[in-house]
Amino acid sequence: MATIEVQRQLLPILDSPNQGARFYNPELPSSEPFVPGHRTCAGCGPSIQYRMTSKAAGDNTILVGPTGCMYVANSSYLCTPYNVPWAHTQIGSAGSFTAGVAAAYEAMIRKGKWKGKFPNIICEAGDGSASDIGLASISGALYRNHDCLIICYDNEQYANTGIQASSRTPYGGMTTFSPPGPEVPEGKKLYPKDLARMMAAGHPHCYVATASVGYPIDLMNKVRKGLNHKGAAYLMIYTPCQKGFVYETPRSIDLGRLVVECGLYPMWEWNPEKREFNYSFRPASMRPVSEYLKLQGRFGHLHAEHIANLQKFANEQWKMMGVELPQALIHAADAKNLTNMAAAAEAEAVAQTL
Amino acid sequence: MSTKNTHIPEWLTVPFAGITPAPSQEKGQDLFPTGNWRSIRPVYRDKLPPCNNACGTNEKIQGYLDLVKRGKYLDAYALIKEDMPFPSVTGRVCYHPCEQACNRGKYDEAISIRAVERFLGDLGQALTNDVVKPGKPNGKKVAVVGSGPAGHSAAYQLARLGYKVTIFEKSPKAGGLNRGGIPDWVLPQNVLDREIERLEQLGITIKTGVEVGKDVTWDSLKKDYDACVLAVGLTEPNSVKAEGEDKNGVVYGLPFLRDIGMGTSKVKLGARVAVIGGGNTAIDCAREALRQGAAEVTMITVEGNANEMPASPEDLHDMLEEGVELMHGRAVTAVLGNGKVEALQLHKARFQGAINASPITVDREAPSERFAVDNVIIAVGQHASLNWLPAEFKNERGTIKMDKFGRLGNTNFFAAGDIAQVGSGQPLMVVNAVGDGKRVAFNLDKVVRGEKLEPRTIPVDVIFDLNRMNMTYFPHFPRIQQEMLPTKTRTKTQDEVIQPFTEEQAVEEANRCFSCGTCNACDNCYLVCPEPCIARPERSNGMYKILVDYCKGCRVCIEECPTGCLEGVPELDFDTGVVRMDTAFAISPGLHGRQAQELKNLGDRAPKNI
Repeated sequence: MATIEVQRQLLPILDSPNQGARFYNPELPSSEPFVPGHRTCAGCGPSIQYRMTSKAAGDNTILVGPTGCMYVANSSYLCTPYNVPWAHTQIGSAGSFTAGVAAAYEAMIRKGKWKGKFPNIICEAGDGSASDIGLASISGALYRNHDCLIICYDNEQYANTGIQASSRTPYGGMTTFSPPGPEVPEGKKLYPKDLARMMAAGHPHCYVATASVGYPIDLMNKVRKGLNHKGAAYLMIYTPCQKGFVYETPRSIDLGRLVVECGLYPMWEWNPEKREFNYSFRPASMRPVSEYLKLQGRFGHLHAEHIANLQKFANEQWKMMGVELPQALIHAADAKNLTNMAAAAEAEAVAQTL
Repeated sequence: MSTKNTHIPEWLTVPFAGITPAPSQEKGQDLFPTGNWRSIRPVYRDKLPPCNNACGTNEKIQGYLDLVKRGKYLDAYALIKEDMPFPSVTGRVCYHPCEQACNRGKYDEAISIRAVERFLGDLGQALTNDVVKPGKPNGKKVAVVGSGPAGHSAAYQLARLGYKVTIFEKSPKAGGLNRGGIPDWVLPQNVLDREIERLEQLGITIKTGVEVGKDVTWDSLKKDYDACVLAVGLTEPNSVKAEGEDKNGVVYGLPFLRDIGMGTSKVKLGARVAVIGGGNTAIDCAREALRQGAAEVTMITVEGNANEMPASPEDLHDMLEEGVELMHGRAVTAVLGNGKVEALQLHKARFQGAINASPITVDREAPSERFAVDNVIIAVGQHASLNWLPAEFKNERGTIKMDKFGRLGNTNFFAAGDIAQVGSGQPLMVVNAVGDGKRVAFNLDKVVRGEKLEPRTIPVDVIFDLNRMNMTYFPHFPRIQQEMLPTKTRTKTQDEVIQPFTEEQAVEEANRCFSCGTCNACDNCYLVCPEPCIARPERSNGMYKILVDYCKGCRVCIEECPTGCLEGVPELDFDTGVVRMDTAFAISPGLHGRQAQELKNLGDRAPKNI
């Protein structure tokens, strides 16, 4: 039996904004696989991410939704906002299900049972599924290098069950599993799992990148790069959760920018051909972590030493990115300086000087 | 719970699990119109950018900058021509109040609006046919007295409204202050000639060498025309009231420039020239004097320092660069010399009040200074010459008596330009005269058509506060400076000092525009909406629409709108659209209205039917 070559879609990379036409966005894809009428909260970060991702992927796409907000809130009464094929799978089986879809399409095309191009297969796992419960199956899918894109929309907690701590919850983040009290004043003592680096280190043949909803064009381009990459790709995307982070809904995009500017969410890409990290992404300014923390209720209980700990964590991330730290941020990593107004003012000024 | 005997409204009889309708790109997932979660609705409401507000003739500056950055130069030129008949002139001579008001000035540097305007004006000059066409003739005749900026503007607008316009100009060439008050190295004569040609192409008759009061009288204007615009300007120079001011070698600023402009100048300047006055005309005179062969030019002002001078700082800077000396805090008390001026007698002086028009105190007790000169140019303002005007329309300040619409009593005569604006507190500049001419033309049209004149009462929301916009979207970019001729050689010629923008520079500069308060199709709201409930059939300014059936009111779009054109309005301010209620079920957009109606009707229904 003659086998048929698998034809893949190659999506064009969008022009970056802020070049040439200042703040203009490039011409965006017109398809809208994610439609309104879903029951996520107002200002939902994962839903912003879902929309951008599916817009970048286009109409020839298959979405896989393991249990998480984007399944629970969006598919009540068997009605979903997905305008492309979408399937739910158990929270632990995100990777194996996606691998199965990809393998099935490859086989069907090979046997001539599916006419047309190979669809974009995207798995949208929450951080609960991607970093805790479904970690093994996702790792398996990446390891076997199925042609799919696995996205971890990282809202840093189990949100749809009512805000429980996940291994992506940051140090100091308050959840119902990590309430602050006299014994543990910072709420959560553990630092988050460095999930994306773990995936890049463990599966070096995969395209791995981190992105944030604060940089939509960058996000859409990383989705397209991941889909264009022949083989498995993994994206970890920062998506603020209004209920869990406790912030005002209009700040969703703003938080996505601030988390990068404060160094708490370094943006990088793993290049599987060269086997090296690309740390060239630079936000417009660097800010002290307090700028990010003060917008969120989940960090409201932190003391100066905890903020200093987070600043230390952020400074390490900056170092990893190869950024030279301004003196003010080094100062801000010392709790003594944080109680001192002058040092706080100095840290505030960083954003203006850079 | 049993639903027996319960009224189930039509909109609740929706299909349930298994047979739910599929979502579509057009209608969304219409089983769940989530719009009833909302308490604040995002609304696109364009505000007035500060540049448009500051411009004397309210040019749609943000509008044409936006078109320029998209490369639609002809549209931009057509837009500018709505309010401004000669962008090529104002692109050179305007003192750009728009740039002073520009919000970008508070951020890095104001946008070089004048240079972009000049780019568009020059583009318009190069066109074979202008984009503006005369209006449908309405059979009415209007006379415009004076062809300066205000007269030009009024005639232009009236011709576009369909009037048969005749312009009377006293001088041998049309152009008024544009020709006579502005030196060639700022505005070359051929640029102005071309604009006047454009005016004639609109069917306007220009009669030069006709002086009102002499060749054409008030009564004949009244008899022969349906209406008349008096835009005669301020023609008579003010004197400094010094002894011996009538000596040979003393000239006045505006006539000095006018004669050079008209080509009838007989003045031959000596080596040392003093210019009296600290305004823009004085600066032009000083710079012109250098070009007329003077070796040393000194400007004598009453103002205590350069910052107090009522002049454009840029022009002042250029003048100092060309080597004009400044002498502050002095007033001329006498012109000395035997028939011909040889020197000036100066005394220390200052203004009594805070403004430059207040009376001057001269310290005559102090010893006087002698300042040797060959020529003196006095440029301390102008006043009107109104001998021809009936006495009932003159006021005690020597200007025309008129109402706030520019109308003279109950007549069909209107006054526009400097003659109407002098003493109003507005700085007298070309663009303000153009704006006045435009407004008067529209008022005249209303009067002729028998409509009532009413002042504008709509409050204007001008966006001055950068906090109303999202500045994270605007990287810092320096202003592009216009090239200038080298200081050394430019005083030897009449060549234009300031060089035009190239196309790339104009686009680059227009790109810096914040588009304050006005939608410029940046697509940001469309991109960040979590629903997504912002529809955009095409990417174009103001074509964005919010699907209120779905918008949950998260306000991300409002926060992320770079220009501040989106704003949140409490839902209760709307009496149409979504009404909040207990259930979210509705199977098609627009069902909320029916649901709301059902709820309203509940009260009328007999209890047993519910």
